[in-house]
Amino acid sequence: MSRPAPKKNSVMASTAAALDMATLATREYSAPGFWCLGFHAPAAAASARPAQFAALDIPGAFAPRLPLGIWTARDEQIGFLFREWGERTRRLAQLQVGAQISVIAPLGNAFEAPPRGRRAVMVAGGLGIVPFWMLARDLVNAGSDALAVIGARTSQLLVGAELLERLGVRVVLCTDDGSAGRRGSVLDIVRELAQPTDELYGCGPAAMLRALCGFALEAGLPCQVSMEETFGCSMGTCWGCVVPVRPGSAQATNYPKAPDERRPYDFARVCADGTVFRAADLVWNP
Amino acid sequence: MTVDQGQVDQGRPLQIDSSVDIGGARLKNPVIAASGCYNRGAEYGRVVDVSGYGAITIKSITREPRLGNGMPRVAGTPAGMLNAIGLQGAGIEHFLANEAPKLASVPTAVIASVAGFTVDEFADVAARMDGIANVVAIELDVSCPNVDGESGACFAADPAATAAVVRAVKRRVRLPVIAKLTPNVADLQPIARAAEAAGADAISLINSVRGMAIDVVRARPMLANAIGGLTGPAIRPVAVAAVWDVAQAVKIPIIGMGGIESGRDALEFMFAGATAVSIGTANFRDPQVHVRVLRAILDETARRGFNSVRALTGLANPDFAGARVAT
Repeated sequence: MSRPAPKKNSVMASTAAALDMATLATREYSAPGFWCLGFHAPAAAASARPAQFAALDIPGAFAPRLPLGIWTARDEQIGFLFREWGERTRRLAQLQVGAQISVIAPLGNAFEAPPRGRRAVMVAGGLGIVPFWMLARDLVNAGSDALAVIGARTSQLLVGAELLERLGVRVVLCTDDGSAGRRGSVLDIVRELAQPTDELYGCGPAAMLRALCGFALEAGLPCQVSMEETFGCSMGTCWGCVVPVRPGSAQATNYPKAPDERRPYDFARVCADGTVFRAADLVWNP
Repeated sequence: MTVDQGQVDQGRPLQIDSSVDIGGARLKNPVIAASGCYNRGAEYGRVVDVSGYGAITIKSITREPRLGNGMPRVAGTPAGMLNAIGLQGAGIEHFLANEAPKLASVPTAVIASVAGFTVDEFADVAARMDGIANVVAIELDVSCPNVDGESGACFAADPAATAAVVRAVKRRVRLPVIAKLTPNVADLQPIARAAEAAGADAISLINSVRGMAIDVVRARPMLANAIGGLTGPAIRPVAVAAVWDVAQAVKIPIIGMGGIESGRDALEFMFAGATAVSIGTANFRDPQVHVRVLRAILDETARRGFNSVRALTGLANPDFAGARVAT
């Protein structure tokens, strides 16, 4: 089955980003090294859509801002699920309830939900689960048959799955070492389960997304993936976070008026043109 | 533009003139968005009022389309940011057809940055920028650190090469021409003098400082390009010294930049001899930074009893060679 490429300003396009102060309302240690923080940010919580992200000004850290995918958006709060990893995430994890920080949100485009009642499979690697809470909620609300396949290297890195289950989607877990769920990769499971499905969604390490996109193209399944890159500005100004895409595709930025230009790839900005791209539009290792 | 500073100085309302003259381009205030950090102005316009800037400098335009460097292109460092974007852009034809018309709606003045790999390329692209609505000056990016090896593109390492670019561009454009220089040289003064002698109307400095970071887990450079340009507060003292040196060598106005995050930082540059200041990386943290910086400059002007921000230029530099403003 083939689908027309989405138009640049279709439902996927981003809109209402705002610069605002957000107050830390909840702070939970989610798993060893992982934190779940909820910030009171009513406007962002109301407008955030699946796979959108926020740019956080971390007190005491220098530019640039810390970009984090929005995990939950409910009750006037946006939630972040993240791993304490570098300087900025360490400082963020140390914030106390009541602390105010400057947040720009929501940023980036969003996953496009399939038509009502369709089947959808969400495929997450590790913290690639982050965009799937909002998507799972939307899918459940739309009466879709939704499945989440969540994998990680080991059980310690498998976080957040219970929140997806609580929304009412089926969840299948797997780990490379078999320490939780099935032993094997998310792709092993997707190969068994995905067909028939109407839409695949992916977020996780680049190697996983590449394999998922390859599978989707081979199987003729529509597939959207949320990409990650090191961001500079998070706003689309610095061109620091580009990803190779098919020339002439909807999100290609460099030569939109010259589709005849014979180049194997073009670049799109992950932060502003993405983070969501269609599998058919991505060019891996050009 | 005058800004009412309220009741100061023995109850007299003091009007501060915030405007500056950059080699013939009159800006409503001396705070400029630096090239490469603001694209064409629209992105930050979504979350802040860009009109608070005296001008924005657009990302450098080249003659041909360029894909730029591989990923990763940015990396964090302890007090700054490394980047090696590599002048990605769609080239001058695409720019003129698709983006130049939109500059008319940028709510402040626009400085067009031009990059090139030959003297002719600079002159051609600059000439085609002249006349675009809202563009008040041309900045020559003769100093991008991230395209070395592509014909030894750093003109600003050499006085004669810098002069050749400036001279060729000046022959083709009527707008004021700003030469943007690099700190990655032993002595900036001869290069700045060469630019001035070749007809440059202003000098901006500094471009980013050549730098590198290595991922010690993977034992690989953090940037695909290995070497990049360092920006942010880490380079501010290098930049202030560069402005200090050049302010003693030339009479044309200087736009100072490099790690400015606050009004206090901006004052360092003005006192060293800068007529205006540019803000780059700090926008990535605080998109309102220009508002804070301008307010501090106006406050300082009033506090010192001056009626023009231009009076701040060179205050700390006894050998300042530019024109002093009597106030």
